[in-house]
Amino acid sequence: MKFIGLILKSARRSKRRTLLTVISVAIAVFLFAALRAVLDGFNAGAEGSSSTRIVTQRSTSLIFSMPTSHAEQIRNTPGVQDLTWASWFGGIYKDPRNFFAQFAIEPESYLRIYPEILLTPDERKAFLDDRTGCIVGDGLAKVYGFKIGDKITLKVGIPTYGRQDFDFNVRGIYRSGGGSVDNQSMWFHWKYADERSVVKGQAGWYVMQIANPDHAAQVSAAIDQKFANSPYETKTETERAFQSSFVSMFGNLNLLLGSIGIAVVITTLFVAGNTMAMSVRERTTEIAVMRTLGFPSSTIFLLIAGEGLMMAILGGVVGAGLARAIVNPEFLNAGTFIPAVGVNGANMITGLGLSVLIGLLAGLIPATMASRLKIVDALRRAA
Amino acid sequence: MALIDLRDVTKSYRRDQIEIPVLDGVTITVDGGDFLGLMGPSGSGKSTLLNLLAGIDRPTRGSIRIGEVEISRLSERALAGWRARHIGFIFQLYNLIPVLTAFENVELPLLLTSLSKKQRRDHVMTALGIVGLGDREKHYPRQLSGGQEQRVAIARAIVTDPTLLLADEPTGDLDAKSAGEVLTLLQRLNQEFKKTIVMVTHDPHAAERAARLLHLEKGTLVEQVKVGA
Repeated sequence: MKFIGLILKSARRSKRRTLLTVISVAIAVFLFAALRAVLDGFNAGAEGSSSTRIVTQRSTSLIFSMPTSHAEQIRNTPGVQDLTWASWFGGIYKDPRNFFAQFAIEPESYLRIYPEILLTPDERKAFLDDRTGCIVGDGLAKVYGFKIGDKITLKVGIPTYGRQDFDFNVRGIYRSGGGSVDNQSMWFHWKYADERSVVKGQAGWYVMQIANPDHAAQVSAAIDQKFANSPYETKTETERAFQSSFVSMFGNLNLLLGSIGIAVVITTLFVAGNTMAMSVRERTTEIAVMRTLGFPSSTIFLLIAGEGLMMAILGGVVGAGLARAIVNPEFLNAGTFIPAVGVNGANMITGLGLSVLIGLLAGLIPATMASRLKIVDALRRAA
Repeated sequence: MALIDLRDVTKSYRRDQIEIPVLDGVTITVDGGDFLGLMGPSGSGKSTLLNLLAGIDRPTRGSIRIGEVEISRLSERALAGWRARHIGFIFQLYNLIPVLTAFENVELPLLLTSLSKKQRRDHVMTALGIVGLGDREKHYPRQLSGGQEQRVAIARAIVTDPTLLLADEPTGDLDAKSAGEVLTLLQRLNQEFKKTIVMVTHDPHAAERAARLLHLEKGTLVEQVKVGA
């Protein structure tokens, strides 16, 4: 403990350099925690998916639709207990930057199959009874200030839905009861969208409730078999696989964001390491004097390494704290695009752990240099 | 028994495959309470001899016994501990840590001891009092004159009550007045506090303050002078 004061005094020797080092570590930890949170947000759907739901989409791509006439054939497949369908709408709320997911759903069956969409009985009834009604997640409502009774107008984003704007009545603010349902989306009646569609009777994907999760592969194969060699061949998979493939439409995010994070951390490591090495080089005489006074090389090592560690941890606390404060849907107003869960405790702890690692690695070489310093040579250089 | 007993000490450095002799078979004994001056031209090996006595350099051959300890056989770690307990070193350029106050600079060697904070404070204030800088404890080195800096460095050297004080040209960077004050202080430490001092100097005036003088030339002892004899 008595050396803490010495470490703090040394760190304050060049305040600007110390501050810049702390900031560089803070930025690295901020980016790392933020990118982890974004990845977590994308993966949250897959993580929280149900094992008793399977999803059928076009074998070619999720962006192609299928006839709703498939519904009866799928429903008749052994093992299928219930069925619903949905389509991506892609409307624009006032400005293309106000991006949030909107889904046209078959409302009654959808709410039955997704009990995680939590509504009050009144909201549920109001939504089901209103053909132009919609429900919005409480996260989305908070971002845009939506309230029950509000009217929302969406411009058409995908030409298949015609040219005329769509008006909706907010009939419910749902809460998410599970990871597979985020609270940043808008759901409305599929029929309303279908009425205006250029091609009628199309569904983006089907969701089936199955009796036994162990039979998911057999049921999926049986469904796909029904549409084999037809113009609308299908691909049926578990909800988890479907969520993952949905995320993969954005590319290999894990690799992309992970690479960015690692590049930032490694760069910071070199910056901090070089700063520490410069600091040690400038203090060669002082270190030699301390060794002359009887400071063992191990204590010198700990003092230098401790200085690097202290700066890195300080940067880590600042970076993780900022990430926590900034990376959340309310602050960014962009969690609507990324189903962000925000920077959670695990992200912060990982970020802080990373700062400790940066501190240890950055201080390792300078601390070794300092502890191995030949006293006489260092004093001779100073004379 | 002598406090310092150097026997046939040889030191040479290697530079680009060339062996450069610095000390050649030096034998010296210094009694406890002595004030020894080491004189000689540049490159004669004075500072090297001082560094060997301080245990911050090792002889190529020969033995260095200080008190009961043959320091040339100690490991690096043991030598560091030994220095902390037995050696007070005064540098020509003071070598105070610029980011530490006078108090903190003097306290530095005490951080290696098991003394409590209060005990450390008492020791530091006593040492600063001896060098006449008790009122400058909160001053940083840049706020002190050269003479004051050197006195703080002396306080740092004596704060652990070491067996041996080693001074390498302690007045080499000071004006005549400050140099006189520092030398008077060293003399007082020797006479009043019975400290054994070995001082390297170029300055004949400084050398006069020593009780005994040794002259080194080209790494060998050429003359021993008893001051006042």
